[in-house]
Amino acid sequence: MSKSIVDLVDQLPTGGLTISMLKSLDFVAPGEWQNTVGFVNTIKTVTGEDDEDLIQQIGERAIYLFNDKSQGYQTALWLYQTVDGTDKALGAAALANKVGEKIPLLGFLNSVTPKPDKAQTIDLTLKLVAELVAFCQINGIPGDSIGDFVASLGEYSGESLIRMVALVCVDGLIPLGPDFISKAISGLNQTNPQELEKNSTFQNIKDVIPGNNAGSKLNFIGESFDSVKGWMNKLVSANNLTPQKVVGNLQNFVDIADDKLDYLAAFLDVATNYYEHTGTQTLARRLIERAVAEI
Amino acid sequence: MILQRGHRVVAAFLLSVVLLTTACTPKAPGRFDQAQKESTQQQKGQAVAKTATQGSEFNKLFPKASDGYQRVYTQEKKGFAEAKLKKGGKDIALLSISDTTSNSSAAAKFSKSTKKIGGYPAVEVGKTQTAILVGKYQVKILSRDSSFTASDRADWLEKFNLNGLAKLK
Repeated sequence: MSKSIVDLVDQLPTGGLTISMLKSLDFVAPGEWQNTVGFVNTIKTVTGEDDEDLIQQIGERAIYLFNDKSQGYQTALWLYQTVDGTDKALGAAALANKVGEKIPLLGFLNSVTPKPDKAQTIDLTLKLVAELVAFCQINGIPGDSIGDFVASLGEYSGESLIRMVALVCVDGLIPLGPDFISKAISGLNQTNPQELEKNSTFQNIKDVIPGNNAGSKLNFIGESFDSVKGWMNKLVSANNLTPQKVVGNLQNFVDIADDKLDYLAAFLDVATNYYEHTGTQTLARRLIERAVAEI
Repeated sequence: MILQRGHRVVAAFLLSVVLLTTACTPKAPGRFDQAQKESTQQQKGQAVAKTATQGSEFNKLFPKASDGYQRVYTQEKKGFAEAKLKKGGKDIALLSISDTTSNSSAAAKFSKSTKKIGGYPAVEVGKTQTAILVGKYQVKILSRDSSFTASDRADWLEKFNLNGLAKLK
């Protein structure tokens, strides 16, 4: 791990496309997510303490815990970074002069290529599995505890909740449509282990997905997705979420026609890193919660 | 040829400027630099002692939730376990047990303790925390809502199975 946890949290951005996108999803989980950045600031926010000596002790313990590879925190961070790790050059270009104003997507249509539904399905389900595995790594339960994960989804709040909201909206509803859950399930059923092996994200993270081979890992991905479909369905119906409704909110920062949603999905995929951003925040929070209890 | 050499000279000059400026840019030492350095120099396993008790051993000693309170386990690691205490859907407090073998200064602070809770030395830390030391184990409660006061923390500390914890090896 090249960067320290202090630098990672200190360097989290306060503006840009990722932040705009997450803020525009606030209507699904009002007031849940504040973009807390900065290591010391996060310690203060999470613990409610402002004594400098205490903050120092908490910070140092959190650093020790993070740098101990056996504790799983680094694996979790790596997962959040890896599932988000598409080419960000386009996003950087989009951002160069556009912070604070709307980005017309028309100009970018030539440079982004929508993924076929099957690739989008694999993307969505792999992100979900990464969440599950990272959750287990951070909280210290065995890596295949689908039941524990599903139970605690109901407890998700703050940056963890907005990450799952973004997953449903940006990687589910926009690219795959209102029936994205059934589409993803049938897409997975039609995927064979060889196809999964060709996916670059899978190649990167397959070692931490439970299962001895691509076939059993594919089964695990299917089981994971199947077990959270109830939670996702509830989120969609409780908020009457539709692709149009989501896009209506995203239109605060990106101009897009309704018939170009697959391009919007591709654009957001390369231009944002919401998994890494909120994942770093989740990780910092859990580290600090543990550190303050241990000192 | 001359032109090419000129390019090289310019390139070499620019490179040295870059190296010099980056090398000479004064970077104020951060308050956490020392901890970062120490914790990465050692081999893995430095944050949690090999002999630390598994978190699953702690879980069964947590107080049972009643009177409208809800207990939700959050982290269970070697040497550490934590649960949230909720009421009416709101986070009220965090309950934890940790093995101080990994972090000796945690146990050392109890030497200044002047009061006891449940028969064990107790300290208040910061604005939100109360802790007791049971053998080598620290039991700590952190308020997460202003309605949960220091006296609530003391009450809930006594609700842990402290005898069970004292017998744990």
